[in-house]
Amino acid sequence: MTAQTVTAAPSSPSASRPPGPWRRAGRRLARDRASMAALAVLLAVTAACLLAPFYARDVAHTDPFTSNVAGSVTIDGRSVDIMQPNDNPLHLGLSPIGPTWHASADLLGADSQGRDLAARLLYGGRTSLLISFCAAALCIVLAAMVGIVAGYVGGVVDAVLSRIMDIMWAVPVYLFAISLSIVTVSQGLKLGPVTIASDNLLIPICIIALVYVPYAARPVRGRVMTLRRAEFVTAARALGVPDYRIVLRDILPNVTGTLVVLAPLMMALAMMAESALSFLSIGVQAPGASWGTIIEDGEGLIYTRPMVAIAPGLAIVVVVLALNVLGDGMRDALDVRDSGRERA
Amino acid sequence: MALTVLRRLGQTLFVLVGISVLVFLVFFATPGADPTARIAGRNASPETMARVRVEYGFDRPLPVQYARMMEKLFVTRDLTSYVNRGQKVVPEILEAAPVTLSLVSGAAAIWVVLSVAMGVTAAALRGGWVDRGLMMLGLVGISIPVFWLGQVVNLVTQSRYHDSWLFSWVPGLGYVPLTEDPLGWFRALVLPWLTLAVLFVGIYSRVLRADLVAVQSEDFMRTARAKGLSPARVLLVHGLRTSMITFVSLFGLDFAQLVGGGALLTEVVFGLQGVGRLTYQALSNLDLPLIMATVMYSAVFVVIANAVVDMLYLILDPRVRDGR
Amino acid sequence: MRGRRFSRPLLFAGLLAALAAMPRHAARAQDSAPAGSARPVGDGQTLGSPHRGGTLRLTASSSGGTLDPQINYTSEYAQLFTVLYDGLLNFRKADDRTSDDVVPDLAEAVPQPEDGGRTWRFTLRQGVRFSTGQVVTVADVAASIRRLFRVGSPTAGSFYGAIVGADACLRDPAHCTLAGGLEVDPATRAVVFHLSQPDAEFPQKLAFPHASILPADMPDHDLGNVPAPTTGPYRFVSYDPDRGAVLERNPFFHVWSADAQPDGYVDYIHYDFGLPDEAAVTAVENGQYDWMFDMKPLDRLGELGARHTRQVHLRALYGIYYVPMNVNIPPFNNRLARQAVNRALDRRAMTILYGGAAVAGPLCTMVPPGIPGALDDCAYTTGADPDHPAPSWQGADLEGARRLVAASGTAGQKVTVVVQNTAVEMSMGVWLRNMLQAIGYDASVKPLSHAVQLGYIQNTSNHVQISLTDWFADYPSASNFLDDLFGCENFHPGTDNSINIAGYCNKDAQAAMDAAKQETDPARAAQLWAQAGRIIARDSPAAPVIRINYIDLVSSRMGNYFYTDLYHLIFSQVWVR
Repeated sequence: MTAQTVTAAPSSPSASRPPGPWRRAGRRLARDRASMAALAVLLAVTAACLLAPFYARDVAHTDPFTSNVAGSVTIDGRSVDIMQPNDNPLHLGLSPIGPTWHASADLLGADSQGRDLAARLLYGGRTSLLISFCAAALCIVLAAMVGIVAGYVGGVVDAVLSRIMDIMWAVPVYLFAISLSIVTVSQGLKLGPVTIASDNLLIPICIIALVYVPYAARPVRGRVMTLRRAEFVTAARALGVPDYRIVLRDILPNVTGTLVVLAPLMMALAMMAESALSFLSIGVQAPGASWGTIIEDGEGLIYTRPMVAIAPGLAIVVVVLALNVLGDGMRDALDVRDSGRERA
Repeated sequence: MALTVLRRLGQTLFVLVGISVLVFLVFFATPGADPTARIAGRNASPETMARVRVEYGFDRPLPVQYARMMEKLFVTRDLTSYVNRGQKVVPEILEAAPVTLSLVSGAAAIWVVLSVAMGVTAAALRGGWVDRGLMMLGLVGISIPVFWLGQVVNLVTQSRYHDSWLFSWVPGLGYVPLTEDPLGWFRALVLPWLTLAVLFVGIYSRVLRADLVAVQSEDFMRTARAKGLSPARVLLVHGLRTSMITFVSLFGLDFAQLVGGGALLTEVVFGLQGVGRLTYQALSNLDLPLIMATVMYSAVFVVIANAVVDMLYLILDPRVRDGR
Repeated sequence: MRGRRFSRPLLFAGLLAALAAMPRHAARAQDSAPAGSARPVGDGQTLGSPHRGGTLRLTASSSGGTLDPQINYTSEYAQLFTVLYDGLLNFRKADDRTSDDVVPDLAEAVPQPEDGGRTWRFTLRQGVRFSTGQVVTVADVAASIRRLFRVGSPTAGSFYGAIVGADACLRDPAHCTLAGGLEVDPATRAVVFHLSQPDAEFPQKLAFPHASILPADMPDHDLGNVPAPTTGPYRFVSYDPDRGAVLERNPFFHVWSADAQPDGYVDYIHYDFGLPDEAAVTAVENGQYDWMFDMKPLDRLGELGARHTRQVHLRALYGIYYVPMNVNIPPFNNRLARQAVNRALDRRAMTILYGGAAVAGPLCTMVPPGIPGALDDCAYTTGADPDHPAPSWQGADLEGARRLVAASGTAGQKVTVVVQNTAVEMSMGVWLRNMLQAIGYDASVKPLSHAVQLGYIQNTSNHVQISLTDWFADYPSASNFLDDLFGCENFHPGTDNSINIAGYCNKDAQAAMDAAKQETDPARAAQLWAQAGRIIARDSPAAPVIRINYIDLVSSRMGNYFYTDLYHLIFSQVWVR
């Protein structure tokens, strides 16, 4: 939480008709070279990951979800075992094949189960991007609801919501996510008649969205509280406009800026959280792949085949950096002064 | 003021009780968590199982079990693990706390010094390439997963270049108590410190720069400049002091979260047996007494830090008082 | 990460990882260390030896739970207790396969069974003292056996439940007397056990650490972190489960049997807890410790084999991985479906996933080779069937498996494999899932925390169809694999403690096993076990996967590496000077 200081009341909705602040912000963003580069990187990575099935089927001819420890690949006409016994007097341990730099076979090498790393990287990217996007969206929707209700209704409702947030706040965010994951990962989730299997991606999505709600809801609540005392809201209430209309017509449009700026930052946070959970083997479940699970697979090979852990890590750094740059650019373009904390 | 303090205290207690009840209920709702068979040993007879159930009180109603666990944790302090029979959990945490405290304090010192330097430099050279470069560097720091960075650091210092002059001093993973060997302590922790600090250097330098830039347009800054004080002096003395309010409160919360177990990923990759790692182990073993103890420990830290920061705010910054 | 990085708590459950050894020459052939000179213990004396003295430094990532030798069921402390405590009988301390044999310890001789195995008559040795100076008496023996029931030892029912009066003790531990089942006579130092039914393996059970003899005044509850007085060559100086244990010589010890309890070489043993496995490997390599307890991380094996060859010792274990299939729910209530899994299982791939041929090997029958009664052929591999077994495992027969699945009519059913979420077991579970998919099922894999999985797969109310787990023998007998895992009496529906995970109960197999347990002629017993083994193999309630080896890493200064099948490195027999 940071000092939430609102210096100027935002312009009333009547003033925000086209060519309103949104279009102006869009133009400003388009002129920001860093943001545009970030956007291009994100689009390129997304496109590459969407092509994962094509790469696996038609280029590498491999199923990245099937262990292949007893198999072999053909490189330059020679057949090579994917798992190679270590060259030591005791024949202790085995290592998977390293990068071959041949797109047709284990371009970046194989992991400890003999699966093509490059293909898994692309499939893993699909999962990581999907989870972080959905989790960020869900989190922002939840945060908007909590923030608006707490900020607008105030009183007992605010007190109760704030205490619940306090409880969530009191546990370090990763520990909170880990606890929830450990409980759900073994059993799946049963909510009345609905059962979500433990390997369903909805589980990490919901958990990540949930733990970050307090972080996103605080700035929203603060903003709503100031808005509620703003002249145009007081005037509307004096005129007897029903609350839901005030919220929809006056409050919501004025917090949208805050929410939109939060989006890329939340997605960056969600991606970091997803990779951490998967790294601890309580996020995406085998045989599925995400960048976090691949890092985890690579941990046991870090000294012999470091590529398995380094490649997905670099992918995360690139995407999260792009998201952060984009978020920065959007904040400047929309001129939202405070939009919660960047934290991990 | 006294009333506020009391209210805050009440809220804190409420939060702690809420967390402990939640942990307790979730544990008993988790299928497969019944610790009886695990305590009794493999292939134990039904009679042995029944005996264990009575000995550990699993046959009592849940509220009684909860009350007994809280009593053992806070009053008699002899709560024992469900996994390592007879192992007391309170000493286990007291053992792990110095490790985490060493890790977090060192990292905090590094990130405060570096981020103030970076933030002030960037704000002073606002708009230039140094500013952009530093801020981009901060953003990169924010974007690196700490566990991955730790792995790469290990790869370089423990394996690939361990035999070179540059990293031959790096000891094996693990913790060395400060009281036993101060130099060993420092050598064992310096890489984890740096790894953990990277993220926070990024965050704090960016927050500080933003605050410094914002504060420059405030009246008292203009007055100071108008009085003819040098720009550097204005920035450092007046600007920095004002911006420090945000900085300090952020620091309080982050520090508390890390000491309370938030540094677990760093502890995991560097093999440091700290509070975060202990919590994670307890969770993955479904060892309720240890989970309860570590979660309460961590919650106490974070809640108290929250309360302290809020109080500081109330005292320091009159603008916030109306907002709440 | 997972189990590997974190201290893998070696608790309760299956991890009495002891029990090692395969055929003697095979085990020796794998040992990298030069053949030592002092294989037999000799007279068991170390006084006057140039190697006597010094401090042995051991490390483990965590402590092993209670110090009560009658309760603790971990291999970590069984290894320690074997140089601290003694039972009436013990397993021989010898660095070869004779370490599987039972030898007299506090008793003067291993008795011959009377009444066809219902009565066992011992005479207590004279002049043995506890580390407090007290003399060991028959009253201590009687109290210790009763204490097994009074403190609720995990094996009280399964090992010692045949003693007359044991049922009453199990029902009402506080008033346990074992009247009629245990008689002692202080004048002749006689200790006589009466069993309600013959038990040919009673000597092995009395040699197990739970039957250690403690002073009669030990309290009737778990000792926790308070050590009991010892009879062996060492005793506790201090113990802290968070830091470690310090042992010194027991001043009241003298050698009464070189086979059972020889004197120790080192003066002190320091056992430190808390160093994670990765760091421990480095510390032993660098000589900061002499030995580490934890599993050696897979990613360090290459480095160990290449750079520390002389410090690594490889020995086989009586330990296996196997795939139990629930015979009571679809699809594995169909024998053809179970046989299909057995046939399709690629044991070579599983060996690779466990770390390669140096640390594991394909396993065809549920009793690992080297144990009397183990089958030495392979029914489920290419070109073989239960009626025409092949001499060894040849390769997975996917085609045959698919035909069996089709014939069983279970193709297309949903199957979930339940595995532990440790790195190795996860990868094996994923492989199993792919295999099931390949032979015609709709398969998925469900990983559970390693603390929970073993209890979960045992409980019938969780409806587990197929799982992967490991199993280690408590003592080298086929009963530990066949009767424990497939005996009707070990199936308890609806509880977490039903080690007959398959829920298998076959009249003929049970009759053969019951006869084998009571048969005091070893050759005849082995035949009966083989007979039961064949019935079980045909019914295929579980698919054996691999047998595993023990990898030991010691410091370069350690001499006289001394390994027994049951307790691994014997701390009293190694040198540090």
